[in-house]
Amino acid sequence: MKPLLALLMALLFNGLAHGETARRWINPGENGGLAADGSYNNAQGLLGVLNAAGAVNVDGHPFFAPLGRNGRACVSCHQPQDAMSLSLESIRQQWQVTQGQDPIFAAVDGANCPHLPQQDPASHSLLLNRGLFRVFLPWPPHDAAGKRIEPEFSIEVVRDPTGCNLHPQYGLSSAQPMVSVYRRPRPAANLKYPTHQNFGVSSFIGKDGLPTARDPDTGKPTSMNLMADARAPSLRAQAADAAAVHLQRDAPLTRQQLDGIVAFESQVYIAQQNDKHAGSLIEESGPSAFGPRALLKGEAGVLGNNTSRWVFPMEGKWTALPRGNGAAADARNAARESIARGHDVYMFRTFWIRDSMHLNSVGLGNPTKRTCATCHGMHMTGMDTANGWMDIGSTNLPWARETPLNPWTTDKPELPLFKLTCRNDIAPHPFLGRVIYTQDPGRALISGRCNDIGTIVMQQLRGLSARAPYFSNGSARTLRDVVDFYDRRYNIGYSEQEKLDLVNFLGAL
Amino acid sequence: MITLLLTGAASAAVAAAPDAQQRNFVACPIVRDTASVPCWLAEYEGELYFLTLQTDVSAPVNPPMLGHKVLVEGRRTDKPRICGGIVLEPVRLSVVPALDANCNQLLPAEAQYNLDFEPPRPPGPSKGRLAFNTLDVQQAPVAPQRVEKQFSIGYDFDGRVGFKHPALLQPVLDYALAIKARSIDIEGHQGAALLSDGSVLSEAAHLAQQRAQQIAELLQGAGLTAPRYTVHWVDAAPAPNGTDDAPQRRVDITVRP
Ligand code: HEC
Ligand code: HEC
Repeated sequence: MKPLLALLMALLFNGLAHGETARRWINPGENGGLAADGSYNNAQGLLGVLNAAGAVNVDGHPFFAPLGRNGRACVSCHQPQDAMSLSLESIRQQWQVTQGQDPIFAAVDGANCPHLPQQDPASHSLLLNRGLFRVFLPWPPHDAAGKRIEPEFSIEVVRDPTGCNLHPQYGLSSAQPMVSVYRRPRPAANLKYPTHQNFGVSSFIGKDGLPTARDPDTGKPTSMNLMADARAPSLRAQAADAAAVHLQRDAPLTRQQLDGIVAFESQVYIAQQNDKHAGSLIEESGPSAFGPRALLKGEAGVLGNNTSRWVFPMEGKWTALPRGNGAAADARNAARESIARGHDVYMFRTFWIRDSMHLNSVGLGNPTKRTCATCHGMHMTGMDTANGWMDIGSTNLPWARETPLNPWTTDKPELPLFKLTCRNDIAPHPFLGRVIYTQDPGRALISGRCNDIGTIVMQQLRGLSARAPYFSNGSARTLRDVVDFYDRRYNIGYSEQEKLDLVNFLGAL
Repeated sequence: MITLLLTGAASAAVAAAPDAQQRNFVACPIVRDTASVPCWLAEYEGELYFLTLQTDVSAPVNPPMLGHKVLVEGRRTDKPRICGGIVLEPVRLSVVPALDANCNQLLPAEAQYNLDFEPPRPPGPSKGRLAFNTLDVQQAPVAPQRVEKQFSIGYDFDGRVGFKHPALLQPVLDYALAIKARSIDIEGHQGAALLSDGSVLSEAAHLAQQRAQQIAELLQGAGLTAPRYTVHWVDAAPAPNGTDDAPQRRVDITVRP
């Protein structure tokens, strides 16, 4: 590459170089490049984006090119500045800047339902208010061999504010019955972790003994950690599906395009690397938990522990830091200590985890006295090592966030609500019985299993500050909302200090 | 291809009372917090019994669930009480599938009930190991002899395949793949439990069949599609005796070259 071009590329997509950084939206088909070491501002500091294979020329690159009918590229919804996901902030900004013309708002899934008037922001309210895309899945599901799965439950649509689930063309009673749920994009980065072939990957799912989905190319069992419902068995399968659905591409991707997409995704690492209060998170003398390079170096697919390989290795650093070196240094040290305390809350502060499917049902007892790290245990990402779908109540009632209805509000529920009734010839769901109300049946839409209703695959706890809101249904606007949700859900009783510390820790990841 | 056969039914004979040390009963479990991990207890005829501790997935005895009754099948021992309860050992615990909101006792820690030993695993992170090693799947030898081999898959009372079964199914799969099995014979069983009060609890109707069919589906789903499957089941449980009723709840698998 010519030096001038290299410089231009650096300028195009990154403020970077010496810590000076900017937010930068990348449009599909834009010319330019992505530096090897990029960084982008967010409200909490700076996100680091590391291209381990070196600077990326995006001209014609299949991850960045509009390969389908609607002008979108993968990058449309997986933006480097947003931790290779998409923040609500960026979505709203794009609506403003393009007056709703950005291809992310395409009718297919960037609207509450394709039949709605597309120029009206109300038709995109789930995207504009909660960062949610429509995910439409055939019902009933089919297994990998194409055989129909006989579901263990029936589905009724109780509430359909988007009009999509009852729509004659798009709904459950249409010629090709579909369930529409609404979900956040997930980081297309650090992907060696969600796709590892290590601990917990075997021919049978560790949580329920059912057969593990196998990679269609290799035939090997997978870790089943991609997408909210683990429906994508591999990055190639995911990309092929994303091109057909999100990009509305008619022809299959070429082998070269698939290779290019997967190669790019597999070498890009993201993590927060600078905190507005704690300063650099990646100093040589600091903990090794932070910054994208930690993700590059980390071993994939191993369970974190508290002896050698922590979930997020702090090495006991940032405790009892000195004071008296001026107000700025003191404040920075106080912020670093808060992050370290937050880590300890995450690792060691026990609470009673209760009635959570695929955690309380796997031999720990119900309730079990454990910590955040019990579910979020994978080294470096805090995912579950394999088959990471569980029900914490993020989408299942009675815990899911619902709009309060009363005579004094005009607020209306935004998400659909389904009533699922489990068949009588199977055991009832151990915590929810036979009748379950949910905003998103999650894994159950793929497996057809009663016990999977409302179970969602956890995402990496990385780049969180760059990609609010949280949970697959965007129900937590801030990290404080996440912590408050858990405090309420499990009756934890965190002190204000514990909450602050935990939020600071999560924000630094 | 799957062939389904009904292997004929054993007859349930009249039950006798279980052995005097045996404690077989259905009750709400009780959780007692301690300074480290919680204890799991249950009451029967005015006595408190210690069932197990919270450890991890690999434990030989996993704690039951609040919100459900539990079937306890255990032997009373003279060991020092744990968390105030008489220690049952060995003990088998089966969560009753029906929900029961009355089972909701979570007792706070009290100094007198704290454990006077180090539990196999603390209530937080793992110290880098599983508390027990039962999950270590035995690797099939590289080139095993191509001989007929039997496997037995056990279940909780009224149970189907769950989190314990991958460790039992993996060796079957590995062996069958390694010897390029030509046929797999699956025979489902179901049992009954003789309770200490003399009553008999039977597993759900048709469970033997459902268990056997599920095992065939799982092995096929895991990629073992080449062999010919024969699936049988024994529809009725033999008379329970209160001491070794659990082994009746099983599926036998014969893998043939
Ligand atoms: C319109 C927005 C949109 C576009 C365009 C898009 N995605 Fe996504 N992506 C999503 C959403 C939404 C999810 C989560 C879906 C779910 O959980 O069911 C997702 C999930 C993913 C994941 C899973 C990450 C994980 O850890 O689970 C990967 C990888 C991914 N996308 C890659 C791609 C690729 C490659 C392309 C281009 C071919 C692409 N995406 C195009 C919205 C989009
Ligand atoms: C019972 C298992 C469990 C426990 C305990 C648990 N989590 Fe989670 N966590 C999950 C699951 C499952 C999800 C995905 C839910 C969803 O997206 O709807 C999740 C999601 C999250 C997210 C959102 C990630 C994102 O990208 O949107 C954060 C942050 C998080 N958890 C932090 C915590 C913290 C902090 C604790 C301790 C207070 C904790 N979790 C305890 C299972 C658990």
